[in-house]
Amino acid sequence: MSVTHIDDRITRVDALEKARGEAKYLADLKFENMLYSRLIRSTIARGKIRNIRVPSLPEGYYFISAKDIPEGNKNALKMIADDWRCFADGDVKYVGETIGILVGSDRGVLNKLFDEFSVEYEEETPVISIDDAINNEAAPLCGENNVMCSLVSERGGDVNEALAKASEIIEETIETGFQEHVHLETNGAIATIEDGKYVIYASAQCPFYIRKSICGLLGLNPEDIVVKQTVTGGAFGGKEHFPDVLAGPLLIAESIIKKPIQLSFDREEDMLYSVKRHPSKIVFRTGVDENGNILGSDIKVYYNCGAYLSSSYVVLQRGVFHANGVYLFPCTRIEGYGMATNTFPSCAFRGFGAPQTLFAIETHMDHIARKFGIDPAIYKKKYFLKKGDETVTEGHIIEDVKLNEMMEQITSASDYFRKSAEYEIGSGKGIGISFYNHGGAFTGNGEQAIIKGRLRLIKDGNTFTILCGQTEMGQGFRTALRKIVAATLEVGMDDVIFDAPNTDMVPDSGPTAASRSTMIVGNLGYRAALQMKEKMGEEHAEVEVQYEHPEGHPWDQTTFKGDAYLGYGWGAACVEVEVDKITNEVNVKGIWTSHDIGHPIDELIVHGQVNGGVMQSLGYAAMEKMENRNGHFRQSSMSDYVIPTSMDFPKQEYFFVDNPYPWGPFGAKGMGELVFNGADAAYVDAVERALGISCTKIPIPVEDIEGLRK
Amino acid sequence: MVKSFIPQSLEEALKIRAEEHAIPLAGGSDLMVQHRKGTGVVPEFSSPIMIITGLNELKGIRTEDDGTVVIGALTTSAEIAESEMVPFFVRKAASLMGAISLRNSATIGGNIGNASPKGDLPQPLILLDASVVLKSISGERTILLDDFIKGSKKTELRDDEIITEIRIPKAEWTYGYYRKIGTRKANAISKLSLSALILAEDGVIKDFRVSSGAAGPKVARSRANEEKLIGKSISEIEGLKADILDTHDTVISPHAMPEWRRNTTRRMLDHFLSEVASGAPAGIIE
Repeated sequence: MSVTHIDDRITRVDALEKARGEAKYLADLKFENMLYSRLIRSTIARGKIRNIRVPSLPEGYYFISAKDIPEGNKNALKMIADDWRCFADGDVKYVGETIGILVGSDRGVLNKLFDEFSVEYEEETPVISIDDAINNEAAPLCGENNVMCSLVSERGGDVNEALAKASEIIEETIETGFQEHVHLETNGAIATIEDGKYVIYASAQCPFYIRKSICGLLGLNPEDIVVKQTVTGGAFGGKEHFPDVLAGPLLIAESIIKKPIQLSFDREEDMLYSVKRHPSKIVFRTGVDENGNILGSDIKVYYNCGAYLSSSYVVLQRGVFHANGVYLFPCTRIEGYGMATNTFPSCAFRGFGAPQTLFAIETHMDHIARKFGIDPAIYKKKYFLKKGDETVTEGHIIEDVKLNEMMEQITSASDYFRKSAEYEIGSGKGIGISFYNHGGAFTGNGEQAIIKGRLRLIKDGNTFTILCGQTEMGQGFRTALRKIVAATLEVGMDDVIFDAPNTDMVPDSGPTAASRSTMIVGNLGYRAALQMKEKMGEEHAEVEVQYEHPEGHPWDQTTFKGDAYLGYGWGAACVEVEVDKITNEVNVKGIWTSHDIGHPIDELIVHGQVNGGVMQSLGYAAMEKMENRNGHFRQSSMSDYVIPTSMDFPKQEYFFVDNPYPWGPFGAKGMGELVFNGADAAYVDAVERALGISCTKIPIPVEDIEGLRK
Repeated sequence: MVKSFIPQSLEEALKIRAEEHAIPLAGGSDLMVQHRKGTGVVPEFSSPIMIITGLNELKGIRTEDDGTVVIGALTTSAEIAESEMVPFFVRKAASLMGAISLRNSATIGGNIGNASPKGDLPQPLILLDASVVLKSISGERTILLDDFIKGSKKTELRDDEIITEIRIPKAEWTYGYYRKIGTRKANAISKLSLSALILAEDGVIKDFRVSSGAAGPKVARSRANEEKLIGKSISEIEGLKADILDTHDTVISPHAMPEWRRNTTRRMLDHFLSEVASGAPAGIIE
């Protein structure tokens, strides 16, 4: 095969088998004597369990619950904290909390037994919304005030002094809703025993997380459990920590039953009983002078974390660190609160806390600009961060910021300034604009302090095998990493092997999350390949590399001060709409984006990420409504929780700026989350202008627009 | 297990229907979803089913001498959307149902028999005074679709009957209007729909009809309201419009999203009447 170059257009290595339906997903796997299972879940949001009435179980059927965790081991899944119980015990904290797992050979019989189960509760008043959590101090779920986690970031001096000098303080509250991942493949896992070891097959992003999370249930070490990633049909963060919630009960059941056991959710279960994006409420008090110049902003960020912490504290941190948007204000103070509620725990979702605050600051800036009669693009541009500027964590922007160039690209392609001036407010036509960023990889020095990612490269003759824990979940990393290594070695893609990870076979390169795979692990692949190049004459050679943090970029994880991110992706988006004033239907006429992702190294994958991320963001703003009533999600299928099709957002024109990143492979930075972070605000800006309305809460399907038109 | 039959002729199907009260399953796009029991588990039905998908005598579209369009109950939405014999309102509604794969399997008989308030076809069919032909071994009866559908998921179908045909009498109209607002632009369930038509001759309104879908337990149409405009001249529309809009508002009874559904219905009908009143060219009002 000919040598692969980094800028070659490559067909994804997994494209054919997936398009042809040949790929075997979790639910396609069959093992001899495999049993099936269903989770018995809480049907109330908060209360004590009085009695679990287990139906009479036929032979070969089992009900496994907290009582089956061997004595001395904590009933906990060890995510970041270890508060999430494997099985509810004594009380329940949210609708859908696992009470037990029902196991047996026939899925029809399991359904029948499932229907015969009854649990008696002593119900308590649940805390559902952020406002419930703020106001309900009578019976808090957590501490004295329902605050599960919190932090403060400030820079530029005392914000109260700045606000005292303001001619006006603009107060505004912006809210965002739940969002469901709708990965095409639902959640699923299989537990079995192979060669005397527990093995978990899982549709998952982070195999190493699973074994760490569940091993304590049996008093084991992580190495005592093998996790094998199966072909994963989408994740978007929904399979970062959540597979642990399936794997924990399966492991306990496996320790008793010792036959392969499959647990696979159907779509309704996956919608109703899985993690979601954190709903948010962001309160701004922004001081301006008589011309609308910002003197300082006091921002409070509230995220609805649900009943357990899972990744919420880290999500909240990212939310706070992005709450100032891509701007430098004279001073900023941001307080972040993660609120405990009796909803299904919120967890990772593409953007990981950044989309909520970025949407809020963009919308807030639009409103201030329009109040002062200034075009939002012109207004925002005045505050663009640039290289060397201080961030809200008192660190600095390390790279060249090319927002001006990006704004030029999208405003000329869309003819933004002409349209912005010509389309009168309320005319039915509108164009909106937004700017955003995304800090790549783990916050601060987390890559060095927490993950210490490793990657091994093995040469056997003319074949090179990459061993690391990164997963393919539809984003294209199997292709990207093979390409990076092949291009560095100056060999062909076909000479490089990179399979789905098995935790016994590969070193831990960290989770497939945080837009870190290309930027961090891709660079490990690049460095390993460079070292391997010195050994090309050898028949068999092995190289292992570990992450090295660039010097001179301090971070203090206790005070949250320093360089929070060593590289940001940057974005700019324009969306043009025409709104039908009869029906409130929004017709998107054009979508223009520009992204700085360092040096884009794979045109097709990058295109796919931009298209998909922008669509998902527009869906978040326009139509993806997930409501929760008394702890129950109200949308349970893909016909009532609606995600967009290409007919909704048909045409995207996209640009990049080439801005090679010194610590990324071939100059690449992370992009998977960045592309989600901003089109929502541009869409809402456009709809607001078209209808002359002010929107402070997303999503805005037709019926919500009706309320805003009054 | 589900007791199931695959009749080879309508005669056989009617016999099974009478003896076993088997539920007719045509495209299966509603029944298989409603009765699913999860992956790897056979769907559960309270009665036997009979798969009538193969009965050719219930397929196809024809026009009779008096202009009545007859659509066999097993005709798919895709076939209806493509047929030039079918009136505009029904074709348009059929073309906007679900996804392509659904339109290739879902049938008009099934869409009517399911009687979902959100069903796409009943709304324009009721506008056009369509009837359904119901057959059993003891005979045949034809009833207005508006009477056949009693409410959400409720019909007049007896447990020995099968829907065999839908008959749409020839309707003449000068101005037509159809809108469906779905949950998104394609592959969507209806959030609201409205059809309206006006037949005008020499400036005099000879016929006026309006029907609303997804705005109550069944398709809403008020003949008393429609008659207020019949016999009047086009120039009188503006003066009568407010009353007609108010009255139509009283016949819809949206449960969810009432404000948007009521206001949008009013705006759609207002738009249609205003366009006609202001001398829009004959044809479809966009």
